[in-house]
Amino acid sequence: MILPIRNNNGNNLSFNAKKQEEQSANYDHDTLLKNNIVTRSRIGMDKLTKAFTIYPAKGLAGNKNANFYEFLTMGNVPYLIGSITLMSIFNSANKHFEHFAASKAAKLGNKMALGVILYALLKSLSKAFITYPVKMITGIDTELPYAKINYLLQENPQDYSNLTSIEYHKVGESVDFPRWDQLYGDPTKGEKVNWRYDKIAKKNGLGENLNDSDQEVKPIYKEVLVKSKFAKSISSFLWAATGVALAFQKPWEDYFKVATLKFWKFNKFKHSVRILGESLRDSVKELWKGDINSHSKIARHSGKILAGTALATTILGIINTVHLTKKPQKPSKVLNSDKESVVN
Amino acid sequence: MRTTNLIQSYIQGYPTSSQYNSEKAVKDFDVNKELANRTFIKPLPNNGKLIRQGIFDIPSSIKKDITYDIKAIGHAAKGEANDHELGRINDVGMRLGGLAIAAYLFTKKQTPMTKIFEFIGLGTFFASMDLWPKLFIQLPAYLIHGVNVRQQYEDSFGRKKMFYQDHQFIPWDLYSDKEINKIGDRLNVPKDIPNRREFIQEKMRKIALQNNTLWMLTAGFATPVMSALMCNLLEGPVERYMSKYKEQQAEKRIRNFPEEVAKIRFDKEEKQLQEILRANEGKAMTSELVDTLGKTLTKDLDYMISHAILKDLKIMLPTDSRYTFDAQGLDNVIDAIKKTYAPLKLSDSELSKVIPDKEALAEVLNSKGLLNSSFKDFSEHSKIIQSLLEEKIDIIKAENPDSQLAKKLEFYLNKFIHQDKFGTDSDLFKSFKQKSAITLTPELSGKLTTLSKTINTLKAKHKILQDYAFLKVGQAPETALADSWNEVSKEIFKAMKFTPREIKDGRIDREIAAKIFREKIEAIASDKSAYDEFIEVVKKGIISLNDSISKVNMTKDPQTNTYASLAEDTFNEAASVFKSLGMKYSEISLVGYDKEGKTSAKALMEEFVRNRTLGVKSSFYRLLNMLDLYRRIATVQNVNGALNFYMPREIKEECAELAKEISLGAHTSDFAVKFWQKRNPKPNTTDYSQIEVEAGKIINKYFGKLPPHKLAELSNDREYFKAVMQLLFTEKIHPDTAHRLNDSGFLNDFEEYRKMAHKILGGDQYFAKPHHLVDYAATESTSLFRFLLMGSSPDEMVFKYFNQTFNSKKWFSMFGKLGGIIAGATILAQFFFGKMKTPQQKQEVK
Repeated sequence: MILPIRNNNGNNLSFNAKKQEEQSANYDHDTLLKNNIVTRSRIGMDKLTKAFTIYPAKGLAGNKNANFYEFLTMGNVPYLIGSITLMSIFNSANKHFEHFAASKAAKLGNKMALGVILYALLKSLSKAFITYPVKMITGIDTELPYAKINYLLQENPQDYSNLTSIEYHKVGESVDFPRWDQLYGDPTKGEKVNWRYDKIAKKNGLGENLNDSDQEVKPIYKEVLVKSKFAKSISSFLWAATGVALAFQKPWEDYFKVATLKFWKFNKFKHSVRILGESLRDSVKELWKGDINSHSKIARHSGKILAGTALATTILGIINTVHLTKKPQKPSKVLNSDKESVVN
Repeated sequence: MRTTNLIQSYIQGYPTSSQYNSEKAVKDFDVNKELANRTFIKPLPNNGKLIRQGIFDIPSSIKKDITYDIKAIGHAAKGEANDHELGRINDVGMRLGGLAIAAYLFTKKQTPMTKIFEFIGLGTFFASMDLWPKLFIQLPAYLIHGVNVRQQYEDSFGRKKMFYQDHQFIPWDLYSDKEINKIGDRLNVPKDIPNRREFIQEKMRKIALQNNTLWMLTAGFATPVMSALMCNLLEGPVERYMSKYKEQQAEKRIRNFPEEVAKIRFDKEEKQLQEILRANEGKAMTSELVDTLGKTLTKDLDYMISHAILKDLKIMLPTDSRYTFDAQGLDNVIDAIKKTYAPLKLSDSELSKVIPDKEALAEVLNSKGLLNSSFKDFSEHSKIIQSLLEEKIDIIKAENPDSQLAKKLEFYLNKFIHQDKFGTDSDLFKSFKQKSAITLTPELSGKLTTLSKTINTLKAKHKILQDYAFLKVGQAPETALADSWNEVSKEIFKAMKFTPREIKDGRIDREIAAKIFREKIEAIASDKSAYDEFIEVVKKGIISLNDSISKVNMTKDPQTNTYASLAEDTFNEAASVFKSLGMKYSEISLVGYDKEGKTSAKALMEEFVRNRTLGVKSSFYRLLNMLDLYRRIATVQNVNGALNFYMPREIKEECAELAKEISLGAHTSDFAVKFWQKRNPKPNTTDYSQIEVEAGKIINKYFGKLPPHKLAELSNDREYFKAVMQLLFTEKIHPDTAHRLNDSGFLNDFEEYRKMAHKILGGDQYFAKPHHLVDYAATESTSLFRFLLMGSSPDEMVFKYFNQTFNSKKWFSMFGKLGGIIAGATILAQFFFGKMKTPQQKQEVK
């Protein structure tokens, strides 16, 4: 890459991340994070906030440090705004309509809005349907996060301060270049260098006390990453579609009549939550059973087909992911004990 | 991976084994050499290129992309895909999910339009995702700056990527100096600055980054709005296309009637029937068998016809448990007796003493007419056989009073004659009932096969005719008649040029709509040119409606109405077969008792179409009649019959007002029951002048001048109601209307409608008030017919129009404006992009 020539001598440059990121986290090097709900929430909030604030500001200013990570993170913006706009399209004009038309439009509008919510919810949740079983079976956490220190270029010769940023990535984000280094243990803390690889190797029957468990594990780790990403790409959208289909069931209309978010009106809110639960239960049943009054076989079974396909792709995805084909050959096959070997 | 291990071991300087035998290893690959000069670390030669795709390259590009995606899926399934492939698969998943949503909602929707719009909605959404950045980001940026911010390139591995995807890795070397300089010129970059290429590149990068960010910020608003607006715009053309398509589909059914009928196969049903017949041939006809046959024959058939067929089948296949009793039956009885006495192990001579002789038994039964015939009740037979057997036992008893045999025989006889469980047959009765009187004979099987073929043909033809009738005139959205209704009514009301304010107010309530509508009609009716122009629109609308229903016009000769003649033939043919098979009820269910056959399935098929077209046509004729009435009143022309010299002015005003109101908003119930108006019980009887009109409105001299408490409903004024009906329906139509309708082809039909309405509505026994018959003669009609004759009231039609127009315009204006603002802001913003301080030109040192 050829960078523009800058006429500065590089004096007073600071590459200390601590100063800039104190408000969110303190990292002075790329750091592996625990994959738990607290970390995930913190990362999610950090990314969401920046997607709506810092990154658009940097992008619109044409900042030379803007990168692909920021662009991808900004992908949350159209996703969220698009969802709200979509809900609005089907609902906001209703209040201007005559009562009967408004009530008819509201029924559809509410279902559309719920569809948008359930789409996002199921798309997001369904990834866990693959992540967790795969982790349980193979010991490989495909969503393991780490904080990356990003060293920035000066915006202008006078800019000496803002020269690092923190990005949240996942170890297996890139299947071409997984961050293997993040999986090594820190001997200074008394950890074995390969302890994470050892665990995975043991879990997958590669043996214990291996000299180079990292080298043994990496191929299968990569295989799991690719296959699980593939499975998630297909199944998550089918689950999302199932979410939309679920939103279009009639029992939700009961909930829309009493829906309220005013939790300070406790009784009404409690009633609304109860009906929400009942509507969800009945909608799931209706989705599965289909329209029993319909003459069309497809209409009677379409819900089953959709939910069944989502479920099937998830199960097949898991099976395919945990069916490891890239396990290294046993050493016995590399060194044939029946033949004479020359050792230098 | 073995190679990696080996390299690492070399790096450590301890090659452990010379036995490495990987087949994949490159033969002349010298690791030591490679490690020594590190040549393998250098980047691969650049084979990438910028993608410059024209419109004609799109098909090949799509094909290439699909092939790539398929391969990527294959690689991913094997765990061998790369990041780029996985990214593409994610897009495939998204589209797959979208398709799944559309397909599911497709199955939930009822009409073809709503079904097809699920896919159009999906298509426009994906199209908007793609078009928004192309039309409102890429294109303006190119026009303003000359920079393609969505430039794509193909990397060395043939992977398609966005050029400005990662601003920390932009493959600038794919642009030649010439290209960059050309863009620089377009960007007005001075030619003689130092590092011009780098400066241009930075400017391009900045523009691209700003645009990409703008894309992310606007896409959320723009994509759904753009998609919804596209759907909105596509609604009209798709509706017109679908309407034509459905029309063609319907006509195809009738045009190729035999072929369409032949397409509906009943092989499964025929096979099932034959299996049942084969399995039961020669066996007794039981009620279970008749039920099975009935169900098989009438599966998916209209309920009323099925009911009649099942009734006939029960007559045709009696199952009254009759059994034939003949010489064979006698043998059965004797065998049964022998079997009963078998435990006694009697010798042949002993048996001959205890079992009656066959001939003697035959003689006795024959003498009483109990042999060689079919019987339902065998109690007489039983008594005779019992007495004969008892006689034999009595003889044994008489011969040897102490014999145990007689007692044993009595015991077994008792068991033989009496049933062991209530409701079951004893062994003796079982022996009688060996041969059913009615069995499934080959003749009956043949008859049932013929019947099955007739019923299946009827089913197929009935289905085609029903489909046709539904597609043409069904009481559902999106039938040809419904489409025509929507189109015609929309055109008519559009021609009335309602203001947005009127539409907004009118949508709230039917009465407000009626008021606005009336004002408009009165204004039109008072102006000849406006009236002529408007009647022309109504005329065209009705002509178009008549055209669309001409093929199912049931008032036409059946010879020119294919549907009617096919319905006639279908039911008559099947009825004649039923008649030949002696199936009276089935025949009646198809064609009825008499020639008219009013209650038959055939009549229903014809009546359905007739009623549906009558209802729609009446609605528009009623609207036309209303316009004519308003015109006649506006010009005080052709009203003198009703508002005559003998009628006081005050009553004339009341009468004209009621006629106007009724024509505008009355329902059948208003005619038949209410017809209610508060009038002056003591009208002025000195003024017999004609009504006065100005700008289409009556200048009331008396009407409406009295306070409400002085007004009353006058139930006994039959002449008044007669006058209202006359004013509405029997006064001649206005010359302007007649002139305009002369060439319409439906003038006579319209006149007929007016006469019919007058006769039927006014001749109803309970028209307005009991016995207020307008022509002093009662006419017979059904409430359904009166309802159809009245059609939809014009004020309701306009109320619906106001609502639909307002809703659709409101939505369009809200989101159209939003879309416009976003598009405008997006384009405008780009004029501020790419601003950079130009470096100082080097001053020549002199």
